[in-house]
Amino acid sequence: MNAVRSCVFALLLLGCEPPPVFAGADRRQNANPARVEGQVVVSSTARGNVVVLLYDAARPPPPTGTGRPLTFALVPRERVFGAVRDFDTGPFTAPFAFSLVNPGQYQLRAFVDGNDDFIPWYGVTNEVNVGDVGGAALDSITRAPLTFEVAVGDDGAPRPALGVPVTIGDSARVTVDRPVFEVTMPGSSAPLTTEATLGASAPLLLDLRVTPVNEGVVRQTAPVFLARFLDDNGDGMPDDANGDGVPELWPRVVVRKLANEAPGVNPLADENDLDRNGLIDETGVDYEHVNPANPTGPPVAADGVPDLVVLAAGFNVMELAPQLLDAMGRVKPGPTPLTRLPLVIRPTALDATDPRRPQQLKGVPPGRYAITVLQLTGQTWRVPNELQDGLATRFGLPVVSSQTFVVRVGPRP
Amino acid sequence: MTIRWWARLLACLLVLWGPTTLADPRVEARRHFKTGMFLINEGRYDEAIAELLEAYAIKPHPNVLFNVARAHEAAGRPAEALGFYRRYLDANPPDAEKVKETVAKLEPLVPKKEPPPEPVRETPKVEPKRVAPAVDEATVAKLAALAERLEKAVEQAERRASEPAEGDSDALTAPARPSEAPAPVEDFAVPYEETVVAAARRSQSSLEAPNATTVITGDELRASGLTSLPEILRRVPGAEVMAMGYSSFNVSIRGFNQRINNKVLVLIDGRPEYQDFLGVTLWPVLPIGLEEIERVEVIRGPAGALYGANAMLGVVNIITRAPGTGPRAEVSGLVGNGNLAGGSFVASGGDAVKFRASVGYQQADKFSRDYAEGRPDVTSAFPEPNLALRSARGNLTAFYAFNKHVSLSASGGVNRLFTEVYGIGLLRNYFLDGLGGYAKVDFTGGPVKARFFWNHLDANAGPQYLVQGQRDLLTSLESNVFDAEVLFQQGFELGGRHQLSLGVSGRLKRLAWTYTSSLTEELHAAAFVQDEWKLVQWLTVVGSFRIDRHPLIERGRPGVVPSPRLSIVVAPFEGHAFRAMAASAFRQPTFLESYVNLPIPTPGVTGASVLTQGNRELVPESLLSFELGYRGEAARLGLSWDLAGYVNFVRNLIVLSAVQPLPADLAFDPRSQTYLLGRSTFVNDPLPYRAIGGELGLTWNAVRGLDLRASTAVQTIQADGAVVCGACTQAPAVKVNGGFVYRTPVNLDLSGDVSYVSGTTWVEREPSPADPTQILNVQNALRGFAVINARVAYRLLNDRLTLGVVGQQLGPAHQEHPFGNNVNRRVFATLSVQP
Repeated sequence: MNAVRSCVFALLLLGCEPPPVFAGADRRQNANPARVEGQVVVSSTARGNVVVLLYDAARPPPPTGTGRPLTFALVPRERVFGAVRDFDTGPFTAPFAFSLVNPGQYQLRAFVDGNDDFIPWYGVTNEVNVGDVGGAALDSITRAPLTFEVAVGDDGAPRPALGVPVTIGDSARVTVDRPVFEVTMPGSSAPLTTEATLGASAPLLLDLRVTPVNEGVVRQTAPVFLARFLDDNGDGMPDDANGDGVPELWPRVVVRKLANEAPGVNPLADENDLDRNGLIDETGVDYEHVNPANPTGPPVAADGVPDLVVLAAGFNVMELAPQLLDAMGRVKPGPTPLTRLPLVIRPTALDATDPRRPQQLKGVPPGRYAITVLQLTGQTWRVPNELQDGLATRFGLPVVSSQTFVVRVGPRP
Repeated sequence: MTIRWWARLLACLLVLWGPTTLADPRVEARRHFKTGMFLINEGRYDEAIAELLEAYAIKPHPNVLFNVARAHEAAGRPAEALGFYRRYLDANPPDAEKVKETVAKLEPLVPKKEPPPEPVRETPKVEPKRVAPAVDEATVAKLAALAERLEKAVEQAERRASEPAEGDSDALTAPARPSEAPAPVEDFAVPYEETVVAAARRSQSSLEAPNATTVITGDELRASGLTSLPEILRRVPGAEVMAMGYSSFNVSIRGFNQRINNKVLVLIDGRPEYQDFLGVTLWPVLPIGLEEIERVEVIRGPAGALYGANAMLGVVNIITRAPGTGPRAEVSGLVGNGNLAGGSFVASGGDAVKFRASVGYQQADKFSRDYAEGRPDVTSAFPEPNLALRSARGNLTAFYAFNKHVSLSASGGVNRLFTEVYGIGLLRNYFLDGLGGYAKVDFTGGPVKARFFWNHLDANAGPQYLVQGQRDLLTSLESNVFDAEVLFQQGFELGGRHQLSLGVSGRLKRLAWTYTSSLTEELHAAAFVQDEWKLVQWLTVVGSFRIDRHPLIERGRPGVVPSPRLSIVVAPFEGHAFRAMAASAFRQPTFLESYVNLPIPTPGVTGASVLTQGNRELVPESLLSFELGYRGEAARLGLSWDLAGYVNFVRNLIVLSAVQPLPADLAFDPRSQTYLLGRSTFVNDPLPYRAIGGELGLTWNAVRGLDLRASTAVQTIQADGAVVCGACTQAPAVKVNGGFVYRTPVNLDLSGDVSYVSGTTWVEREPSPADPTQILNVQNALRGFAVINARVAYRLLNDRLTLGVVGQQLGPAHQEHPFGNNVNRRVFATLSVQP
């Protein structure tokens, strides 16, 4: 009887045990993320969905850095503004949340998509433009972008970041469109629609000219370059922070190598960033570097680490200086709107994996290169992009032939 | 251990081995019957009669009476023969006229004072002096033993007759009741043969079946102690059973298993349990209990020629006990670990109107949870996060026979259910919480059978685990299916014996589901014809052809799908049949595949979704199958085997496409207030698949009370030109099953079975860990696994009370799909009472 009693007892006891936790092969179930929650506070007459963008604090967006958002959340217009009158400035509040966020340090940017033209999937539609109102999670005292943390507790479990405030206000209203440009030969107004080749020794001179695109979902009606010499120390003289003898200037330009064309490879993907997440891939193309200690000596052999290849390029400062300096030769206090920027591309390639210490490559890797202009507002534009022939139709975007342009090094394959 | 211990063990074994009770009554009765028939041919009539009566005692069958009568007649005992012929005639056999002539011939030979019908208990008594004029002592002893066996057989038969009928009311000594419904014609076929209905829409011997078939009897089901039908289907050669969770099973046959398997048609008494909106069978929440099942017939291979759409890889036809048969009442209950508890009550009876009524309840927890409680990222959608199954059901079936040829049956059932369903694509573990029900009417008028049914499901559903901060996918649905069918079946002679079946049917499906936006309706129609032509005794040709009308089949327009089948069955020797079959079948797109319009949140990207869309231009999945089979038996040894080999050509599998970008102007979805990363639609897979396989099944009624069973299946699936072939690697190359049932003479029942499934690699969609907006096809290796189930039960009070302990999944914990639960041990106690 004792055995029977024990058996019944065991059954009853086992019957009360909750099922064990078992993740299986599902990657998501095996991850151990948390979440970020907070409130957007909008003080503006702008109306639209609120887009909140989450960035790795180590890779902030332009103009501070070149990071891309890790993810984004959308707070519907109805939830933020309800049925209030259009001229009411609020403040309006609504909760937002990011799910499945891994432990780490983050920053948030946000904006009201005032003209409903934000589409996150295309480079030509995934930034703010005129009509939008920007904002961010800011430190309440310094008003600098707030870095917050999804921490890991003593028990190894992540802790959600809750109550993160995001402030959006008319003071950050976007007043200019993105620096949409096309490329011409110097002195010409006819846009180049295919490519220009960088020679082995002579620099390549090009002009970047703003060009409006207002068709379909792309609404950049009045693009402009906002140019200004860097004067961080406020002495009125252009800064030369990197000490190359050429003063720094907004906008900035990056001429980056694109991935070699191949089946299955996005034609807009950068070399060594085939998944287009903004990070260098773990495996990829690696080049020989010039030995900084002995530039004319034997090169540093490829180290197996993929490189971020850019060309040495900049705007012609001498040509722009008269427009960016006042009569006294001092840096104008505000940006100067320009419609043309003279670009100089030298036949020198750099590995900009560490942008603070770019390393010169032994040669200039042949292939296609894209031109990206970064505005001091944080807005960017890049050619080639999704408006190019062949891609635009596939994506349902307007075809703009000038957006097909690439800088080519070496012969066509 | 001492000698005394060993002696006790030996004694126990001897007792256990003693021949008394039965494992599979049909198989045992068949063995006696076959032996009896053999002895008749040998002229050893009294021994033959003893064997036949023993068979009859185990399982009464009118043909046995006929053969007993024949034996008596041949042995020169007209009085006894007359008695058994009259008993045979009481069962209204189809050859009654011929038998009456025999009776008329015999009557003058019998003294008139003899009261007919003679009590049967006296007839089989054998007097050695009448058997042989000159006998030695050995013969006398042998005959005495024989007489003893006869006495026992008669005693058993009498006992059975005095018990509540189990569909066999014409027990040996009970007088036939004038009001008793005539036995169906098929009951006069070869006694104790394994019969199937599903393969030809009429009862026939498994040997004659045009398809490979496997029958699992209700006795086997009950002996296993298992609580869900798919578990027991593991013993079907070629069947693939994938337990995703305690209440989520996917069953396929001959490969092509998947989450939400939709290629096997499941029927209960001819009514489909296939949920047309999803293409899934909700196995654990069927409206009947396992104790109500008479047998389960599994057609391994295409059966579209008879059943139309979705009978592509096979059919599982669950046949319930006829109203008025079985125990008058049965109460059962179970309790075990994993919060497993349940109970049922079944009553059966009636006089003119026969009925079977049942109610039941069952609940159980999950095998494992995907996520722990209190996580910062995921929370449970349901207040009972551990629950896997809860089912409260009721069912009523009634039957009334107006006369020999006209009858009416009506049935209905409801099930308040909670169960799990593992979704496809990016979807994972869903719950389904609602009410299912059906109503069905069957009318038989001579050769015409008409059937109408209504299937209903009203449920809320959604992911069991909600990602905090992400839009949920909770949904509700109401599905109604109305179906009517008329079947005409008639036999005739024309260059051999023909059995003709003609049928027409129509089906209206209505679905209101938030995943498909609006109320959706489809009207289907079908017609079919089949002729079983027995050219000579050993050769049967079965030709079947069905045509199904589907509203979307021609690239979004109405069209028809033909499903032919040709089968040749050659039976050169009794008990052996060779079969060659060619057939096609198809699976129509489900409502999900045709109409779904669902933005699925992209994990980790709160503002984004992937649009999953149905496609109304899908063509049906198609199967062309060629099969060779051999089924044989050594009935006197209790041994039977089933061998099949097949080549299946599968085309147009319906799969989810890769995520394709959407036009920019459709990038924002105002309904979900998210940006659509892209669209994944259901498409026809352009790859043609070729599946080749073989199956072997063996059953052996080794000794009295002990049944052994083994089966294996091997297969390979290939797709020419495939870079990654999910269907190829997901199909296990080898499956093995073995088991036994032993009903010992000391009222102890033992059963056990082991299934092994070889390793597979599953190709499943998951978001990229680096960039969740990228959806990847990830290959997940799954190790081979073994499932072990066992039951020990003890019968008391003349079998009216049974206590048992069942161990389910006793082998190592394992997964049957990379995303499935960690399937682990369930042990439970059972109690069954038949007052």
